[in-house]
Amino acid sequence: MSNFPDSLLGFSVGLLETGLVMAQSAMKNAQSTIDKLTGQNNGEVKGAPLNGPEDLDLAVADFVNRLTRVYRYAPLELAKLPTTSGDVLAAARESFRNVNLKDPRNLALPVQLALSVGTLFTESALRGLVTLDVVGPTKVPRLVEDFFEMFTESPVFVGLEYGELIDRCERRLAEAPDDYRARMELARVLSKCGRYEDADVEFKKIPPESGYYATALHEAGTALYRAGRFEAAVRTEVQSMDANPADDRPRLVMFQAAERMGGYPLFVPQAYRMEVKAGFATPTVYFEDIAARIGIDKTSGGRGTAVFDYDNDGWLDIAVTSAYGGATLYHNNGDGTFTDVSVTSGLDTATNTFAVIAGDYNNDGFIDLYITRSGFYVGEGQLFRNNGDGTFTDVTAEAGLKNVWGPAFTASWVDYDGDGLLDLFVANNLGGLFERKTPNRLFHNNGDGTFTEVTEQAGLKTIWPTIGGAWGDYDNDGRMDLFLSNGIGRSQLYHNNGDGTFTDVSDLAGVTAMGFGSPAFWWDYDNDGWMDIGQFIWSDHDDVIYTMRNGQGPQSGQSMRVYHNNRDGTFTMVSRELGLTECWGTMSGSFGDFNNDGYLDVALGNGSPKLDRLDPMIIFENDGRKFRNTSFAAGLPLTGKSHGVNMADLFGDGRLSILVGAGGAYPGDLLTTSVYCPTSLPGNYLNVRLIGVKSNRSAIGARVSIEAGGKKQFREVSGGTNFGCLPLEQHFGLANIVKVDALEIRWPSGSRQRFEGLPVNKTLEFTEGQSAWGDVYANSRKDLS
Amino acid sequence: MQHENEQQKFGEPLSDFSLQSLGGPTVSLSSKLQGKKGAVVVIWSSTCSHCIRYDKYFNSFEERYPDLSLVVVSARQGETLDAVRMAAAQRRLKFCLVHDPTSSVARQWFTQQTPRAFLVDANRGLLYRGAIDNYKYVDDPEHLAYLEPALDQFLSGSAITRQETSSYGCAIQSVYYVLPKVFTKST
Repeated sequence: MSNFPDSLLGFSVGLLETGLVMAQSAMKNAQSTIDKLTGQNNGEVKGAPLNGPEDLDLAVADFVNRLTRVYRYAPLELAKLPTTSGDVLAAARESFRNVNLKDPRNLALPVQLALSVGTLFTESALRGLVTLDVVGPTKVPRLVEDFFEMFTESPVFVGLEYGELIDRCERRLAEAPDDYRARMELARVLSKCGRYEDADVEFKKIPPESGYYATALHEAGTALYRAGRFEAAVRTEVQSMDANPADDRPRLVMFQAAERMGGYPLFVPQAYRMEVKAGFATPTVYFEDIAARIGIDKTSGGRGTAVFDYDNDGWLDIAVTSAYGGATLYHNNGDGTFTDVSVTSGLDTATNTFAVIAGDYNNDGFIDLYITRSGFYVGEGQLFRNNGDGTFTDVTAEAGLKNVWGPAFTASWVDYDGDGLLDLFVANNLGGLFERKTPNRLFHNNGDGTFTEVTEQAGLKTIWPTIGGAWGDYDNDGRMDLFLSNGIGRSQLYHNNGDGTFTDVSDLAGVTAMGFGSPAFWWDYDNDGWMDIGQFIWSDHDDVIYTMRNGQGPQSGQSMRVYHNNRDGTFTMVSRELGLTECWGTMSGSFGDFNNDGYLDVALGNGSPKLDRLDPMIIFENDGRKFRNTSFAAGLPLTGKSHGVNMADLFGDGRLSILVGAGGAYPGDLLTTSVYCPTSLPGNYLNVRLIGVKSNRSAIGARVSIEAGGKKQFREVSGGTNFGCLPLEQHFGLANIVKVDALEIRWPSGSRQRFEGLPVNKTLEFTEGQSAWGDVYANSRKDLS
Repeated sequence: MQHENEQQKFGEPLSDFSLQSLGGPTVSLSSKLQGKKGAVVVIWSSTCSHCIRYDKYFNSFEERYPDLSLVVVSARQGETLDAVRMAAAQRRLKFCLVHDPTSSVARQWFTQQTPRAFLVDANRGLLYRGAIDNYKYVDDPEHLAYLEPALDQFLSGSAITRQETSSYGCAIQSVYYVLPKVFTKST
């Protein structure tokens, strides 16, 4: 945390939050008053405004976001001002065209407009202050530039408007070949489209006097790296460092390109080389990427991953969402290979998607999927019902979820009220640089295939942009509580009161640290029977490069957070004590005992939308005392970009593979999904699957504990916490223990079962209320060793 | 309820279509199949940055596969004939390109993204659908072709081992609310 804001922002985050709440409630009250005056019913549930915003407040936010884009792409010359004004007018028309001017509410338009604009800017300004508080003043300019790029471009690329952007830049350059800003824009867009060689040509036309020279060379080097021209990439990055030795970004891309060549070529000056100090702790398990070998070889802008058995054949299948194109479903053939069944299953109809979560919401024995969209822009979520015949049907509308549109990164299945039905929680980010925060939303499952929104009754309103929501029972009262990891702002913990309402206990619990929170999760990393919190943090490029070179993050940086549960409703942040001092740009991640030693390990998927953020995936082995970064020593690549990280025993043989949906925000991010499988079985194990009867059938929320070798281990079945969804199967590492003395299940219904004397190295299935258990792979004759 | 993709079964004929070609005359799939063993139909878009990679491949396709026709259908929502013509001229596209202003073929063939390739036999029977390859960059050692092996197996009379690979690419219809038009036409 930076020291700077202590003086400038002597007032608390709480005050900023009050400002945000006031701005929102002022707007809401005004809307409600206007509605009353004009006799409007504000209670109706509206569908997603697919043709554009229908109310004034949204239209204002939309217009401001459009203005930022007009500004971004406007030529600098005064002579071009008329075109720009035209763009502004056109943007206004577009934003406001669906706001019904005959609506009586618009009688109050002048009042509402002023309030809408005023409060929107107040909110954005307050969030800006919080950002300043988190990163400190020196890093703000680049961060603002990056956020500006991210939010303004998202609609351009998703909406396939980059063709027009290229035309526009080319037209401009035909008139003014020395407009270097336009040329940089052109080269960048080409790069983001994957036209790397064309981008390189344009970047190289930027001369030293332009002010963009070093950056242009760095970005050309990145484009060349991505085009597979590694030596040219190294040469270009050397030129970039010649022009600006202070920038470490070229150093990293140069290093990554050199790695692909087998080492630095002789022409690279010593001063430009780097040594990676992070990631070389001695591993207890080694990995190899088996994705292509097992049939997961497709190029995809992979984002979320869900591992689940969609056809009940016992083998775990894989769903991968995609930034561009449709979602993929891979069927596990049970012989060590997978078949792409995306088209047949109907899941490829879900285009431009983010998170995917698996849960049997209708308790029919077949696991269904909910998929979110966007994250920097609004899109509709989709509910896919598993028909049980290998196909999925989009039932979003009939489930009453058609109005779930928003900038959602993640979602979770949870039975928050213990009625045996999975409810749905959707976490929303900000949908634009200027946006009134779209609320996170909680939907109650009515049991008849439909859902009813209960966000307000539940008291789950938040004004911070949420990246991840994690459900877990921190106080062992049998009810699922909610931890929110927010992108800008403080984290939040909501206690489940058991009556359908929640209380924000963040301050009391001591989990309010600020930062760029990524997805979070509940885990019992120290096996004490109390669920702790893991929270990923996104760090900027400088802190990541610093970490790679120094083996730990800078003093001002933020590492992944672990909050230890003090068993009294409070938590203590223990990251540093656990050895978690490295800063990575974590976008998502997952946990699991991949070295089968009885302690939960963790994997971090890293990067950012920017093309040069080729951050490697990182794993930390937990030995019960410390977390050690063994990534590169264990065989993981030094380059990457990873979104949906997941862990699963894909072959039923006790080896926990790490799956990585690798892909980015731009169509040019052409990467394939990776599956890092341990090269050998690192220890004994027990996999546990649960079937709820009185509880929800997926048993999401169930607590499983085992006693073996004098030690206990605890797991809670999660319904999705990161961009993907952990397998519902619970994996326990047992090292050299050969017998499980006891296994206890606390079902979400509250009932408990205890089993004694279980075998190891099996995948066992337990059904609620039944004393006999099944051996999932007992009838499998396939030898996968 | 069965998923709509289930209606499109391997071996069974896909629906025929008849669309305006860039040159003017209407082209139907059945007419392109006359005297041929089969055809490759690609759902395509002039703005799609993934499609651009296959310009050369498509330009020389019928030379390399004289027994097959290639029909490329421009299917992107809102893509005008003029825009497609301009792209074809700029990129010197020589292959048979037809314009589907209402994305009807994409809809009937359950396609959401470009490019997606279909291999059909002379009776429009579906043999392969999906991606062309897993392109990441030129000379990628892990490069895998998907369409070509299917073509070769079909032409040599053997069974097609990999019939389906969902494709990566650009969405044909915006799934977001139709905001964009960042570059609204100034008046």
